[in-house]
Amino acid sequence: MTDSEKLIKLKELLLTEDRDFAQIILQKLDSLEDTINTPDKLSEKVDGIIDKKLNVYTDEIPEKLGPTITKALSSEIKNSQDKVVEILFPIIGKMIKKYIQQEMKILSDNINNQIQKAFSVQGFKRKIMAKFIGVSEHQMLIAEMNEPKVEQIFVVEKGSGLMISSASRQESIDEDMIAGMLTAIKSFVEDAFKKDQQSLELIQYELFEIHIQNFTTYYFAIVISGGFNSGFKNKLENNVFDFVAANITTNEIDKQQISEKLKVLLKNE
Amino acid sequence: MNNSKKVVLVGHFGVGKSSLVRRFVQNTFSDSYLVTIGVHILKKEIKIDDLNLTLIIWDIEGKDDIQKVRSSYLLGTSGFIYVIDPTRPQTFERFNEEMDFIKINFPTSKLVSVANKSDLIDLQEFKNSLAEKNIQVDYFASAKMGTEVETIFQNLGMKMI
Repeated sequence: MTDSEKLIKLKELLLTEDRDFAQIILQKLDSLEDTINTPDKLSEKVDGIIDKKLNVYTDEIPEKLGPTITKALSSEIKNSQDKVVEILFPIIGKMIKKYIQQEMKILSDNINNQIQKAFSVQGFKRKIMAKFIGVSEHQMLIAEMNEPKVEQIFVVEKGSGLMISSASRQESIDEDMIAGMLTAIKSFVEDAFKKDQQSLELIQYELFEIHIQNFTTYYFAIVISGGFNSGFKNKLENNVFDFVAANITTNEIDKQQISEKLKVLLKNE
Repeated sequence: MNNSKKVVLVGHFGVGKSSLVRRFVQNTFSDSYLVTIGVHILKKEIKIDDLNLTLIIWDIEGKDDIQKVRSSYLLGTSGFIYVIDPTRPQTFERFNEEMDFIKINFPTSKLVSVANKSDLIDLQEFKNSLAEKNIQVDYFASAKMGTEVETIFQNLGMKMI
């Protein structure tokens, strides 16, 4: 073997392994490039990882970004009130319009029903009343739509706030607690605006009014829905006075008896 | 037969009146302090022999002087629970005066006194210090651990009927 042959042999021995290794690397690079450049293959590899990361991120959003988002929103709304109004106005406007339309439809249906009954005894009565008191029949009809109605009656011991008796058109939440809280509110208001012989007479709560009628050792709290007016208040007060005169004459109140009588009073109101 | 009685908890702010009520009514406890504003009313029915007794519990805001409590909140009370905090001596500095005030102004009402947070102190040492001050506390309770809470209301109920 000549020197030149020996050199070639030596080169083969030394470089074959490197060449193979380089070949493998090249193949891997090709495959990697192919994976990166082929969307389907890339998605197959990374979708799982991204999904996992996204799930963690979604869970952490309220905790990590919540305060920042709230702060950014508050300051954005504060700084661009006109813009916000401009954006929200059509949305809220539509909602309100839809709500009013719905309510007007109900009112209109009710009035139509009443008009259809125009030839009933009540219809004639209304016509005569309208002529007599100088109010249009339509106004009387609308007033009739929103007639006040007694929903609940409580008789509560003053001071202790303990319930003596109650009557309700429907199941209500804990009446003992209502009686206690009403008494606490009443005590607070009466203490805060201390004037001799003055007491809380009315509480308004959204669509309800609570009429309070005081007696020496107890008070009546009457929950009313609808349009509570002075005429109804006057009638209600008289009915309560009559009820007390007829049923609560002694200091000792018969709770059982009162309870039955209250139910009758509620039914008649 | 059912009967209702008004029970009022009095004492300085932060002594644990609301915690005692919450432990008794809902059997829960929270370490976070939520100050009571005005009054919070809760109820629980207990049974004493054959009698069902409904306790209407008025948890009123703490005051460092019972005379500053809105007097209308105390009217018609059948049972008072006076609560102190053993870890804050200022909550029982005027203990005897305050107890006398309740006894004089509400002679027909029943009254019990409670040292809450008893899990935070050396009980014997505290009892000795109370004895030196001539203070007699009825119950050493812990709203956190639930110690004695049920007994306080049950015994007060028995006294009231």
